[in-house]
Amino acid sequence: MATFVNLLIVGLATGAIYALIALGYTMVYGIIELINFAHGDIFMLGTFVTIAILSALGVQYSHPPTAMSWELVGQLALACVGSFLFCAILGVVIERVAYRPLRSAPRLAPLISAIGVSLVLQDVGKLWFGPTNVSIVPMPIGAISAGPINIDIINIFVLIVALALMAGLHFLVNFTRMGRAMRAVAQDRDAAALMGVNVNLIIALTFFIGAGLAGAGGFIYTLKFPNTYFYLGFQQGLIAFTAAVLGGIGNLAGAMVGGLLIGLIYSFVTLIPNNILPHGGNAWNQAVIFAILILILIFRPSGLFGQHTPEKV
Amino acid sequence: MAVSVSSPTKLPPGVETRKVLLKWLVAMLVPVIVFTFVWSGEGIVNQALLGVLIPQSPYYDHDLWFNILRFVFIVLIYGTSIVLTGYLVASDSGRRSAIEVWLDVLFIAVLPLIMLTVTGNLLIGLGLSVIIWAIYNFIRSRVRAARHIAVAPPLTDIRVMDKAGQQALLRLAQQGGFWFATSFAVIALVADVIFYAIGSLPTELLSWVIARTVLLVVAGWFLGRQGGKMALRYVVTPDEEVVVGAEASHAGEVHVSRKDQLAHLSASRAREEARDVVPNDKPLLSRGATRIYMFLLLLFVVLYPVLDPIIFGAQTKGRITGYGDLGFYIILALGLNIVVGFAGLLDLGYVAFFIIGTYAWSLVGSEQFYKLTNIMAKPEVFSWFFWPMIIIAALITALWGVILGAPTLRLRGDYLAIVTLGFGEIIPIVFTQMDAVTNGNNGIAGVYPPITPCIGSFCINWNTSPTPYYYLILILIALCVFANIRLRDSKLGRAWVAIREDEIAASSSGINLVNTKLFAFAAGAFFAGIAGAYHAAKLGTVSPSDFNTTDSYIYLAMVVIGGLGSIPGVIVGAIVVYAINLLILPQLDAYAADPSNFLHVIPQMLPNFTFENIRDLLFGALLIIIVIFRPEGLIPSARRRRELHHTTNEEEIEQQDPSALDAIPGTPAFEAEVHVE
Repeated sequence: MATFVNLLIVGLATGAIYALIALGYTMVYGIIELINFAHGDIFMLGTFVTIAILSALGVQYSHPPTAMSWELVGQLALACVGSFLFCAILGVVIERVAYRPLRSAPRLAPLISAIGVSLVLQDVGKLWFGPTNVSIVPMPIGAISAGPINIDIINIFVLIVALALMAGLHFLVNFTRMGRAMRAVAQDRDAAALMGVNVNLIIALTFFIGAGLAGAGGFIYTLKFPNTYFYLGFQQGLIAFTAAVLGGIGNLAGAMVGGLLIGLIYSFVTLIPNNILPHGGNAWNQAVIFAILILILIFRPSGLFGQHTPEKV
Repeated sequence: MAVSVSSPTKLPPGVETRKVLLKWLVAMLVPVIVFTFVWSGEGIVNQALLGVLIPQSPYYDHDLWFNILRFVFIVLIYGTSIVLTGYLVASDSGRRSAIEVWLDVLFIAVLPLIMLTVTGNLLIGLGLSVIIWAIYNFIRSRVRAARHIAVAPPLTDIRVMDKAGQQALLRLAQQGGFWFATSFAVIALVADVIFYAIGSLPTELLSWVIARTVLLVVAGWFLGRQGGKMALRYVVTPDEEVVVGAEASHAGEVHVSRKDQLAHLSASRAREEARDVVPNDKPLLSRGATRIYMFLLLLFVVLYPVLDPIIFGAQTKGRITGYGDLGFYIILALGLNIVVGFAGLLDLGYVAFFIIGTYAWSLVGSEQFYKLTNIMAKPEVFSWFFWPMIIIAALITALWGVILGAPTLRLRGDYLAIVTLGFGEIIPIVFTQMDAVTNGNNGIAGVYPPITPCIGSFCINWNTSPTPYYYLILILIALCVFANIRLRDSKLGRAWVAIREDEIAASSSGINLVNTKLFAFAAGAFFAGIAGAYHAAKLGTVSPSDFNTTDSYIYLAMVVIGGLGSIPGVIVGAIVVYAINLLILPQLDAYAADPSNFLHVIPQMLPNFTFENIRDLLFGALLIIIVIFRPEGLIPSARRRRELHHTTNEEEIEQQDPSALDAIPGTPAFEAEVHVE
């Protein structure tokens, strides 16, 4: 029981991070039908920016923070906002340089351009912090114990931040003028332009928000798992993309649920014993996730929340 | 128009043909002279001859077969250029000025030769000349646009050529070939006399110099005519059975002459056709000339291992190994092209099939077979199994293609992409974790190379020499290209394209979606199996860490950059992407370390800089640049080119008479007035 609760909490917290990244994938896909392969690498740069800001503010191994203080909270907030803005602007720049020139090109051309951006960002990360693991001093956030159950407060913190961001996004998309414009562009770009929506601006905004969420995801990832490296974005991005597809790509609620679900699978897969799969479930987690994804897609070809749109003839 | 019926039969050309002869003599002589004296043309033939004539000298390669092949290469090169001159002279419409043609030749032929000489490296030389050529093209189009130079519509003066005209054409080609060969013979003779005077030409070669001079003049006479005959194949001939206008409908049968056919094609199709008709404005790009280039390219590729030591010096082995690896990327790109290019099913996990193919041979052709089955796998016996195993491995991967394809049939577009991506993730994990079978992360070492029977004392050395693999992959590529073309043009291939364009329309036309898609997956995977078996045998070891998910993206980049669905495009795409990623970028550090190279400036200015650190950055940036400038691919398939340039052609839109659109849309008058292509 205790293991179960622990795994549940860890799974939900990891899943919340995946969900934040998945939102970026799904927003970009929803609006321009592009699998933005560079998105995971934006997330990776988000973790790097967080580390850079925190160490610039003095949160380093030489002065490890000993207890939560208002000063530390301020530093963390600054890192979060910095990471969000850096990634958001990076996302807009990438869209302008690599995707906008290809908007009317054949469908696979922007995909290759996205792969190119992903390679570039990985090397930028490698040049910035080197090819090895980069770690940051762990935050002095304690744990709650209730009998045999031990819950790290960081997990709860991660969940709260992620859920708050998602709620904000939900409000933005569904209840504001800008959100309505975004939904209009996603439905029909030409019609939206005819109705007076500035399509280029809306697409740029989508990239701003999507990439910003990846930056915030990078921030909370760094708090939860205090180390990162340049290839992180590719691995986590792949899983987050899977989450977006699982929920039904292009669907915001789907991405959130898909992310949480993948996080749970990730953490419960460790329970699979050695005699079922050689070397235990942990070695197979990626394979299990994809196997479950394939199984779900067989029965629901448009993901969990994706609407099956009958094709017009 | 340079050809006239009254062209003289005598050798000295008439006044009107002088201009066209001069144009093409200069255009052909310059690259041939650069090839001969600046690059390695003369070096190859001299070394081949000296190797035979002076058997005791340590400076030359004395392998008789190699020298004969080198000699054959040179003879064919010069012979082909005479044919080409004849063809070009005959097929030129004379509408483009000589300067324009010379500039084209300078940038397309002379520049790469000079770059090869300067850099001494095939790929970097070609890469640099492509960059310069692209800049030249860009500037030229800007200048043309600024000066409002419009390209003349190609079909305005298609000439119907009667028997006399054709004879005149042949004579003109003959004159072209003859004068080209003669002037080249004279120039080469003068050059060799000078070389002899300053003592750099050995006396043994004098008889060759004399023989060459005579041979060239004679060959020019005959081969020039041959070029003319090639040009005649593309001539519009008068159709004797043409019945004109009203009479035709009375007779009930309509003969349409070739000229009428061309005149009734849509503008974009007509432009394509007009490129090949003789005479035309750009004979350098016409189909006849392209065939000759293809022959030259094939000659170079087939004889490359023989020529390499003379042209590029030491380290032949490393280069040929590199090109052997390039070969299986071509096969992979061809296979992926079936799935993505023909059938339009986005596959992001193609590496999985490659891994399965690799392990298919590794598990049979190595000690691992003994561990699994307790049957002794002796190398001298099991190496023979490589040949059937290429096909068996391909069939196994094809089966896996079906197994992957079956559950994904209902999925569309990007959902399919993610499932294939997942498959590409699962397979390496399976091969890593099932270490009882595959040795896990350690991989399988000592995979057997193939073996062939010895002919007398001559055995092919599969163990240490890369050359047999070079030829093996050439043969495999040839077979795969053949299979690809046949598949594309088959009923199945057309069904794939139909599915790609519109699934619902395809299925309502009676195409079985399930079978057709499964065949696409199977056929694509089949080629990956061939490449995998070859890769395992060539490398000798295999381990799961050799393969990354990103490899699938690289294969996809090859297909998209080359041109989706276009077989020549995909081959070029594979070569370009592989060359940039694995042959050129890794060498930049070595270049920067060399003080004589211009890249040497960079490490002096930035002390900690290495190109290795920014290799992916450069590769990614190049991918973005290529795809932004050529989103349809380097050599788009004809169908895609038509689609893309159909509506965006501003000339055509401007040419439409606006007054023609005064009929009400929907009425018969409108249908009659608006020409629907």
